[in-house]
Amino acid sequence: MKSNIIILLTVFTFVVSACEKENTIQFTDTPILEAYLKPGDYLNLKISRQIPFVSDIVYSADDINKLEITVTSGNKTEVLQALGCGLYIDSNLIVTERASYELRFMFNGKQVYAYTYVPGKPANFTQSATSISIPRMDSTSSPPTGGFSMPEPVALTWDNPDKSYYIVVIENMETSLDAIHDFGDNEAPKNMFREAPTTSAGIEIRSMQFQYYGKHRLILYHVLPDYASLYKENSNSSQNLTNPSTSISNGYGIFTGLNTDTLYLNVVESK
Amino acid sequence: MLKKFVSSSLCFLLFPSVFLVLNLQIAKSQYHEFDFNTKGNVCYFQYLKYAPNIEYSSIKRPFLFIMGAPNENVYQMFDKDTLRMQHQFSNYLFVYLPNRGGNTKEKLQCLDGLGSLLSYNYMYGHANFFFQIYDNEITESEIHSLGYDYLFKSVRINRINTGSILQDTTHISAMDAFKETVINYDPLPDDDDIGTFYHEEANNEGADEIKDNKPIKIYFGPPQKYNYMLNGMVYDKSSGEALPFATVLVKGTLIGASTNADGYFTIPRVPNDTSVLIVQYIGYERTEIYLTPFDLKQNFKIEISQNTQNLRQVIITAKKGDVVLAEKTEVNTIKMSPRKLEQIPNLGERDIMRSFQLMPGISAANESSSGLYVRGGTPDQNLVLYDGLTIYHVDHLYGFFSAFNSNAIKDVQLFKGGFESRFGGRLSSVTEITAKDGNQKKFNIGGDLSLLSMNMFVEIPVGEKFTSIITYRRSYKGPIYDKLFSKFNTSSVKTTFSGGGGPEGRFMEQTEATSYFYDLNGKFTYRPNNKDILSLSIFSGTDKLDNSSSIDASSFSSSAQNMGMNSTDLTKYGNFGTSFKWSRKCNAKLYGNTVLSYSNYFSERNRTQERTLTNSSGESVTTNDGILENNDLRDYSLRSDYQWDVLGFYQLQFGGFATHYDIKYTYAQSDTANILDRRNYSILAGVYMQTKVKLFKDKLQLIPGIRYSYYKTTLKPYFEPRTSLAYNITDKFTIKASTGKYYQFANRVTREDIMSGSKDFWVLSGEKSIPVSSSIHYTAGLAYETTDYLLSAETYYKKTDNLTEYSLRINANPMQVNIDENFYTGSGYSKGIELLVQKKEGKFNGWMSYTLGKAMNKFDVYSDTYFPANQDVNHEFKIVALYKYKRWDFSATWIYASGKPYTAPSGAYTITLLDGTTKDYFTVTSKNGVRLPAYNRCDISVNFKLLRGEKADKKRKEFGYIGFSIFNLYNQTNVWYKQFSIVDSKILETNVNYLGITPNITLSLKLR
Repeated sequence: MKSNIIILLTVFTFVVSACEKENTIQFTDTPILEAYLKPGDYLNLKISRQIPFVSDIVYSADDINKLEITVTSGNKTEVLQALGCGLYIDSNLIVTERASYELRFMFNGKQVYAYTYVPGKPANFTQSATSISIPRMDSTSSPPTGGFSMPEPVALTWDNPDKSYYIVVIENMETSLDAIHDFGDNEAPKNMFREAPTTSAGIEIRSMQFQYYGKHRLILYHVLPDYASLYKENSNSSQNLTNPSTSISNGYGIFTGLNTDTLYLNVVESK
Repeated sequence: MLKKFVSSSLCFLLFPSVFLVLNLQIAKSQYHEFDFNTKGNVCYFQYLKYAPNIEYSSIKRPFLFIMGAPNENVYQMFDKDTLRMQHQFSNYLFVYLPNRGGNTKEKLQCLDGLGSLLSYNYMYGHANFFFQIYDNEITESEIHSLGYDYLFKSVRINRINTGSILQDTTHISAMDAFKETVINYDPLPDDDDIGTFYHEEANNEGADEIKDNKPIKIYFGPPQKYNYMLNGMVYDKSSGEALPFATVLVKGTLIGASTNADGYFTIPRVPNDTSVLIVQYIGYERTEIYLTPFDLKQNFKIEISQNTQNLRQVIITAKKGDVVLAEKTEVNTIKMSPRKLEQIPNLGERDIMRSFQLMPGISAANESSSGLYVRGGTPDQNLVLYDGLTIYHVDHLYGFFSAFNSNAIKDVQLFKGGFESRFGGRLSSVTEITAKDGNQKKFNIGGDLSLLSMNMFVEIPVGEKFTSIITYRRSYKGPIYDKLFSKFNTSSVKTTFSGGGGPEGRFMEQTEATSYFYDLNGKFTYRPNNKDILSLSIFSGTDKLDNSSSIDASSFSSSAQNMGMNSTDLTKYGNFGTSFKWSRKCNAKLYGNTVLSYSNYFSERNRTQERTLTNSSGESVTTNDGILENNDLRDYSLRSDYQWDVLGFYQLQFGGFATHYDIKYTYAQSDTANILDRRNYSILAGVYMQTKVKLFKDKLQLIPGIRYSYYKTTLKPYFEPRTSLAYNITDKFTIKASTGKYYQFANRVTREDIMSGSKDFWVLSGEKSIPVSSSIHYTAGLAYETTDYLLSAETYYKKTDNLTEYSLRINANPMQVNIDENFYTGSGYSKGIELLVQKKEGKFNGWMSYTLGKAMNKFDVYSDTYFPANQDVNHEFKIVALYKYKRWDFSATWIYASGKPYTAPSGAYTITLLDGTTKDYFTVTSKNGVRLPAYNRCDISVNFKLLRGEKADKKRKEFGYIGFSIFNLYNQTNVWYKQFSIVDSKILETNVNYLGITPNITLSLKLR
């Protein structure tokens, strides 16, 4: 019996060692676009290459700084001017509200195509307060005991009859940041935060979302669904890795129109 | 022709007369003559002892005293008596007494003394002392006044009309009056008779005692009947449970049968009525039954005892070598008895599905799936039947545990491929689970407590006809539960709070929600007579995985406003099913059962955030954001199966089935108007027929069959021809092969949402995008089996068409966000070789298995060539070792599995969002192009039996055990999957690992 087991183990080891396979990862050189078309700006975009997973891959011969990129809006077609580092701009093409844009260029033997339009400017963007007072807090001391109350949230509203997507970005405009509370061992947060994209006609910013005192810019972006979908959970796990959703054919990234309106808010220390 | 007829008629005439003559001679020559006391004593008389079974030494038996007419001597009485010919009395001791004449007192005096002498002072009481008197002069009142109605259980007085012919003139027949009371034979209190016992080892006396309980040869005469049909039931001796799929075999032949799900068997051709039957069942003593001409030919009851001696078997795929069994000829089958599962180390719970993963051909490297990956198939291609009820979801707690409570289960069979026509609707394999009926003899209660769960069962028999069992198990948030739960939920906790962006928790009150799983099983069985069994089985289980949190900021707001945020992350899934089964033995040759069942699988997923703001004027605003997903499957089925033993070598199995499916799937995202809402109904109905033919002295067994299904959605018929054969080349060596066509109509689709716990939902095939999938199996194998060892090798090839893969994709375009359901159709194949060496007996036993396998798929959407399927594992090597030392059971398992394929990103890029933050995206080109490192793990466990009684007792009752186990003993880091991120313009790969070392303690107690 023992000899049988030994034979079996030997066979097993042999079989295992003989059948190990090479792992293969293929790579297709597909360009990455990044362009936000905002009214009043010159149309500009950035082309980049993917970061490869493995090192021994071959890029296509196309130079991302020497691409012939055409943009068509209405009956006007322009060839974008390369600025280097994958940046392109067209000084003849100023993005206008409600105009549509088509982009084309050849890369790695395939035509890259993208389409977008610029949505309308947000209408009736209002705020419930222009200033809020927040007490200064210190994590080393205990919370104030009674006699203090948090301010009401700032409600922002706008018109959204067609349930399109909006996103609010709140940015502290001060050059030196004055923190409302100390962050202990944690890294200090950025001077900007956002709310998730929404199809509703308003949001509320809670006082505790503010990290710093000072003047804040409240930027309301009217965005397109393909931008909103960037925020959807995309997987980074090997169990369910799939290509990201994009509206660009033969390319990845974002080529989208947007429109904004801005309000201001002061965050002051309550005495 | 005429000659043949004449010779057979002659045989018919000759045999009985020859036997009659033989029998009479035997009978005469068998009585033993004795004197009671010495001549001259008032109590002196001659008497005869006669034992139809020639067994004179045993006193554990009924005694029947017989006295003739006045002045009749014992020899005259013996000649006249016919009672001893009745086979009901075959184990009785007949005592023929002389009628000494005189008055009644003189006739009957001193019988008390004789009874005392014969029965060792009535060691087993008077319950089996009977007296038959053929004397007109003795009256019942005289019997009473002499106290003989105390001495004898019953005294029957027959009047004699004519001198020599005995006539039965009493109103109660002898059969009823002298009916044996069995229980009094056992000197132990009956309470102790039921349960499992521990016998002190290395003690010959102990071994003898056990032998004493076993059936022994009691008949030494020639057979009286040849080539007859025997049917009956096999039971567990201690609990009275009928044992399904036990093997009953005629010793020294290939003739045999296995019991059906109700424990019923038919052997069509027993060579003669003194043959020896060998009865085997996993975890039970291999028992030899000596048939006698007096045994019942129908409803023959066989009781076998649980295996408590050195002999231990946990799993056997075939049986012992000195006899080859019907069982061995079954292709691709593994059987398991949950009774012994506690010996296999496990993560917290005894688990049938986990234990199957230790067998060849079943993938073991799936800690997060209790579903079985059989021969390159996926868990949804494995049909799971629980008392005839289809179970659609077998996972508890992210798949680390199966939904089957081993306390509720009596038997499990797994058909790895090439299965018979009576099963259908799945592409790969069948797991048939039979639930316990409950103790038939005594009330029983018990429970287990581990670091994961509490488990209770209660068995209540009512009378002899009704049995019931209820089991309940619930997890609690012990260390193991927490460990597993946090494995899945750390990252989602992060998501919960990141949206807010505020300081976390400082003024927040966070409520931790509870998560648990439970299951509740019940079975109620009623046996109104020998022919019918009615049973109601209930299967129910739910997982509630709650990772919700609620933040209430009102505490620091004295007056102004309240803010509340509820983040719901709730997954609830489970099964509820019930089946009603009616089994009926229509006649000796035809057995049928009908099952009416309802099965419901539900899965709800709610991952939403709800914010409520109440301002100082009392107005509140609520906003919602998140995903709601719901799958609800209902299966209403009716099926009937029949087994007809047409001829000795020919058995016909046939039946019909019908299922009504109702499957609902909804997916809603609250921030968009996009909602998926599918609801499908369909009916699948059909019939099947298969025959079991045994040829060449039962050496060859052939099972051709066909299954016909009609599917309402496609309005098409589906034919599935199947066949299997097994040939016993020698007693020890068997070759077998099978092939068949299989269709699957309901498909499980995997939603790759790792956080969700329940990742899958069911959809019906048949629509354009989801074709009915099909497969063809080819299997071949050989087995060599001796008393102690089993060596087996099997190979398989399985071709599958119309596989469906699903993805729910967010399809971005400038106009709208679409949620698109994409169904991709592809094909696949799997092939492999399985080797098994098993040591079946002895203190040290276990097995070793190796599987070489390949599972490939081809989906045009991914690639124009075959790529490895997700479940593809090329090499698997498994060792299970069990060792018993006195009250200790030790066991260890080791698993090695080569790495599974996964999809690695080919590239990645980063997008800067409008708020200045960046987000990473990965691109993919080659599906499953790379492999994870190999998986390996060792588990060990030790159990210590808890015994009742004094330490000096040789035989002590087991009332439970304390178990200690370590999962992943050497803390091997096994990669579950990988996560990718972009750091410094490079793709960083992070491994997410399976469980590390995890110890567990289990306390298991039971009344009997």
